[in-house]
Amino acid sequence: MRLRLLGAFPLLYAAAFLVIASFLQVGAALAPFAFWQRILVRVLAAAGCFAAVSCFEKGDHLWRAWLWLGGGTVVILIRDLLRLAPGFAPQGTSPQAQLVLTGLGIVSNLALLVGIWKLSRAWKMASITLPGGRSGFSAVVVVTAVLALAVAGPGALNHAREVSQGNWSALVLVVSALVDIITLCLITPLLLTALSLRGSLFSWPWGLVTASQLAWLLYDVAAALPSSALPAGLPLAEVGRGLAENFLFAAGMAQYLVIQQVRHTSVTPMALHPAGPTS
Amino acid sequence: MGNLASLSQQLAARLAPYIGDFNAQMWIKSVARRELGLAPEELTATHLNPLIDGLRPFLQTLMGRTTADNLLQQIGREVH
Repeated sequence: MRLRLLGAFPLLYAAAFLVIASFLQVGAALAPFAFWQRILVRVLAAAGCFAAVSCFEKGDHLWRAWLWLGGGTVVILIRDLLRLAPGFAPQGTSPQAQLVLTGLGIVSNLALLVGIWKLSRAWKMASITLPGGRSGFSAVVVVTAVLALAVAGPGALNHAREVSQGNWSALVLVVSALVDIITLCLITPLLLTALSLRGSLFSWPWGLVTASQLAWLLYDVAAALPSSALPAGLPLAEVGRGLAENFLFAAGMAQYLVIQQVRHTSVTPMALHPAGPTS
Repeated sequence: MGNLASLSQQLAARLAPYIGDFNAQMWIKSVARRELGLAPEELTATHLNPLIDGLRPFLQTLMGRTTADNLLQQIGREVH
């Protein structure tokens, strides 16, 4: 039950965000509301990741994966909060401050990439049989790679041009777009692992991490669209970001709850539900 | 033979809630082949310890070392 609630939480949050944003769209309150809810979802995502870290031992494969994800989330949270400091405000940022923001953005993106990469190769280490065999895996890889390039490729090229013209603040956007392309490609093993584990306890964290990555895809699509293509006042990119961060929160918490349930089962074996635990 | 088959079935039944029926059976098949050179239906109670040791790295990846070790210990006590 708790796992199902966790799975529903990001969608309920997105619905609530859209309702509130629709009320605020005509006023000046939308921007601060969007900013603070962004901080909130980052804090939740970091909390979820560190909850997952806490249920593993130092050195465990998934301990490292969740630690990278949590660390990357904290760094991007710091970057967002720095924007509140006078020297780091979006308008009138000094070159030094811009360098710090760019550096934090790059570090965060790379840390998140390492975390997702570690999660995505767990299926091989755990000898999970992916559905569809080798041909199915290849087909999904091709589809996600094409999607990733279509969504994040044009942005990466544009930002690379800006960097080549001396706008170094666009470097973080280039790195971000490249990381997006790679992490979107990593949806394949995550998705297939979740499908392979479906119906079992461990399908929850994998399914929710996959949902988080798919939500980043929505974010990238929304960010790439011209504002004229969206209804006025619809912060679709923020919805995608909120979904992605909240699904990461839910995945981390699901990881924590699942491990707790396994521990409980190891102590009291009769607590195991043969048909598949759904706690 | 029925007793031999039941070991793999018992193990699979205990692993299935965590990783699903199919993966549980594939794990046992894979470990039985790799560690013992046997098919799942050829497994007997004497193979339990090497089987559990063979399953350990897979479970440790998914749930961490301590949790996996405790679970395998529990399974070892339950399966005959």
